[in-house]
Amino acid sequence: MSDPLPSPVNVTPPEGWRISALHDPFEAYVGPLFERTDSGGARLFSFIADARHVDETGAVHEGMLMTFADAFLGGAANRAAGGDCVTLSMQASFLAEAHAGDLIECRTQVDRVTRAVVFVFGRFSVGGADVATATSLWKVLGAR
Amino acid sequence: MNPSPVDTSGFGAYAGPVLRTESGGAFEFEIESRHLNGADRLHGGMMMALASIVLGQVAKETARARAPDAQAKPLSLNCDFVSAGERGDKVEGRAQVTRATRTVLFISGELRVGTRILMTATGVYAIKGQDAA
Repeated sequence: MSDPLPSPVNVTPPEGWRISALHDPFEAYVGPLFERTDSGGARLFSFIADARHVDETGAVHEGMLMTFADAFLGGAANRAAGGDCVTLSMQASFLAEAHAGDLIECRTQVDRVTRAVVFVFGRFSVGGADVATATSLWKVLGAR
Repeated sequence: MNPSPVDTSGFGAYAGPVLRTESGGAFEFEIESRHLNGADRLHGGMMMALASIVLGQVAKETARARAPDAQAKPLSLNCDFVSAGERGDKVEGRAQVTRATRTVLFISGELRVGTRILMTATGVYAIKGQDAA
């Protein structure tokens, strides 16, 4: 695997988080993004919203939330399938607003893995309160 | 009048620019290196971000037509990835109002390169602030 791509902005990871190694230019561009493993072994992901991520009302833009979702629900799909996946479909529900300065966390859940398709759910929260959910379908590359 | 940028918010400007065509009927976006994934295709997150800007702009304009201070807030966005985009592609976006109730907007749209569809998308938006006007 090539070296991780740098992000244009330096942000210190919060206590307990490490910088996620990103290989997609657009993810590095909106990053840095963070990850950690919880006590149960689940991988969690996060980013700290800043002025680059908000809409004209100051709320985190839904396009940024879906970019974050695509990055890490896709990572969960890749690990579940044991190979690269591409997005087929994603639906996101926006439950509450997040704002600049918020640490937005993502927890993923793989609902089903077939030979060709992976079903992944994601839940996004700030300080323990949900701000969005996403359901997604992924195509396993090379599978017939 | 030249094409003018829409959604010049922090994220809209940073991910974009997304332009409105002169006639106002469509949106334009050119895929640059920073918009790609590790396979040199348009990143899925950026494709959804573009759909969110195109559908969101139509939703905002519909809300503002009700009351100048009214806002359209996204409740749900569904995006289907029909085909891939590549660096240098000029993506055209279109969206229309499927139904507008007093409090909710249903918007549908698509992204294309030429005649090839990249993404179809539907969004549901809440109209906020129209009663204050």
